[in-house]
Amino acid sequence: MDGLLSLIKRQGSSGGKKAVASVALLALGSTFEMVSEHSSELKKEIADWQDGVVMLLGVFPDGPAMSVKKENGGIRFLGMGMCDADLKVLFKNLDSAMMVLTGQMGAHTAFAQCRAVVYGNLGAGMQLSRALNIVQKFILPSFMLNRTFKRPPVFSSDDLLLKARVMATLAPRMISGVMRRQCL
Amino acid sequence: MNPEYYEFFCSVKIISGKKALSNLPYEMGLLGAGNAMIITDQGVVGAGLLEHVKAAFDGATQKIGVVFDQTPIDSSVKVVNELAALYREKKCDCVVAVGGGSCLDTAKGVNIVISEGNGDLMAFQGMDRLTAAPKPFIAIPTTAGTGSEVTAAAVIADTERGVKMPFISQKLYPHVALLDPRMTLTMPPRITAATGMDALTHALEAYYGIQKNPVSDSFSLTAIRLINRYLITAVKNGADEQARMAMANASLCAGIAFSNSMVGIVHALAHATGGCCHVPHGVANTIYLPWGMEFNLEKRHEIIAELAPYFGVAAGGDPRAAASGVIRAVRDMRRELNAICKLPLTLKDAGVDESKLEHIAKSSLDDGSITYNPEEVTFEDALAILKKAWDKE
Repeated sequence: MDGLLSLIKRQGSSGGKKAVASVALLALGSTFEMVSEHSSELKKEIADWQDGVVMLLGVFPDGPAMSVKKENGGIRFLGMGMCDADLKVLFKNLDSAMMVLTGQMGAHTAFAQCRAVVYGNLGAGMQLSRALNIVQKFILPSFMLNRTFKRPPVFSSDDLLLKARVMATLAPRMISGVMRRQCL
Repeated sequence: MNPEYYEFFCSVKIISGKKALSNLPYEMGLLGAGNAMIITDQGVVGAGLLEHVKAAFDGATQKIGVVFDQTPIDSSVKVVNELAALYREKKCDCVVAVGGGSCLDTAKGVNIVISEGNGDLMAFQGMDRLTAAPKPFIAIPTTAGTGSEVTAAAVIADTERGVKMPFISQKLYPHVALLDPRMTLTMPPRITAATGMDALTHALEAYYGIQKNPVSDSFSLTAIRLINRYLITAVKNGADEQARMAMANASLCAGIAFSNSMVGIVHALAHATGGCCHVPHGVANTIYLPWGMEFNLEKRHEIIAELAPYFGVAAGGDPRAAASGVIRAVRDMRRELNAICKLPLTLKDAGVDESKLEHIAKSSLDDGSITYNPEEVTFEDALAILKKAWDKE
C-alpha cells in the first residue's frame, strides 16, 4: 500500500489511476486463470477458444494491460504489459478503464458509451467479454454485480465456495502474478 | 431520458431527389476526382440502372475509368484485392458504389486497401483501426433498407480462412450519398418489403437499444414515421416515386440512427440465420422483429410506448399496454406485407430447418449487436426466441 501511495504522489492523478487500473487488471488476470480451472461455466465458455490464442485487456495507448492465453483447455495469465495478441480490448483512456475495472460501469455500458475498442475479430471480442463477466462474478461484490450487469449472475453452491477460495487466495495470487514475465 | 454520455458522428453529404444522379460528376470534382471506378452487380446492370449512372457523365470532364459489375452476394477479400489492383491499373481516383449492401461493402473494402496501401484486410479487423485518409467515395443505393450509404461498418468474407471480418471506422463513411428515385423504382415487391422491414428494424432497435441518444432518436423517429406511411404503398405500387423516395430517405435515416446507436438481438439472430441458412437479411429481421421487441418489453416498455402515435396506437395510460400495442402494429404490418407479396413470417416459411436452431442461437451470441441489446441474452434466451419464431407469427 505504501508503494501504491508513493506512486500516486510521484505521478499525480494519472499515476494513481494507472496504479489502481494495474492492480485491478492483475486481480482480473490471476483470477481468470484460477476460475478457468474450477468453474464449469467458464470452462464451457472457453471450450471453443483456439488453443494458443492470446487475448489482451488494457488501456490505450500503452497500458496498463494484462494478457491471457488459452492453454491445455484452461487459461494461463501471461502477466502485465502490452504484448502482441490475437485480440485486444482497449479502453480509450484511464478514466474509462477505471469506471469498468472498479465496478462502477458494466462492460456493455462501456461499449455503448464508445469508451472501449476491439482490435481483431469482434466475435472473439464477444467471447472474451462473456468470459470476463464470469470471472468478475467471482471477484466483485454482489452490490456491484447487481449494478453493472444487465441481469445479475446466479450463484450455485459450488460458485459460492469458489468465490470464497478466490477471495482467500487473491493476494498471494496477485503477488505471484507480478513476478510473471511481462509481455513486451 | 438523456444518456449520461453519448457520441454521434455522420460525415456523409446527402443529395436526395429528382435527377440527383446528375450531380455525380460535379461531386467528384468537389472531391478532387476525375476518374471513377464503378462497383456494381449484375442485378443493377440487368435492371438497366447503370445506364442512368453512365448518362450522368455525358458532357462532363470527369469520366468512368472502369466498371466492375460482378460483385458477389457476399463481399470477399479476393474480390476486394482484385478490384484494388484494377483501381490502380486504370489510374482511378474515386470509388462509386452502385447497388445494395454487398456492393457498398465491397467498395468500402476496396477503399481500405487502396487508402491504407495494405492488401491484408485482417490487419484492420475491429474498431477504429484505419488511419489513412480514405479516397473519394460516392454511394448510390439501389435498395432502401441497409442504410450502408451512411454507416461506418463493412463486413468482408475471407473465404480461404472461412471467416467474416467486420470493420468499423469513421473512415468508412462515403463522402457522398446520392438518392435518386430512378434507382429503386425497379425493386420487386418482396425485396421492397424485406428491405423496408430491415430499415424499420434498424430504426426500432436503435430507438430502444442501450446506446440510444437524442440525435439518433430523431433519425429513428423520422425513419419510423416514413416507413409507416410509405412502405405498403411502395410495395403495392413500385412506380410511385414519392413512396420510393420516402423509403430511400427512411432507410438513410435509419442507417444514420443505427450507425450511432447500435442494433440488438433481432440483428444478432438475423446475422446468424443469414450465415447459417442463407435467409436474406431483411426477411430474417422481419421474422424476428416482434419477438425481439417482446423479449425487451420488460426493460423497455416505457420507451417502446413512446412510439405508439407513430403506429396509430392509443398513447397515454399504461405504457406496457401501449408498448404491446406497438408490437401488435408491427405484427399487423408484417401480415399485410405477407398478404401482398408473400413475405415470410416464420423461419419455417423461410426454409430454415428446425435442426439448425441451436446452431443459430450459439452463433448469435458472438454477434457484437448483442452487447447493445437492453436485456441480457443467454443461449437459452436466444433458443427460446428461435423456437417461437420457427412456426409462430
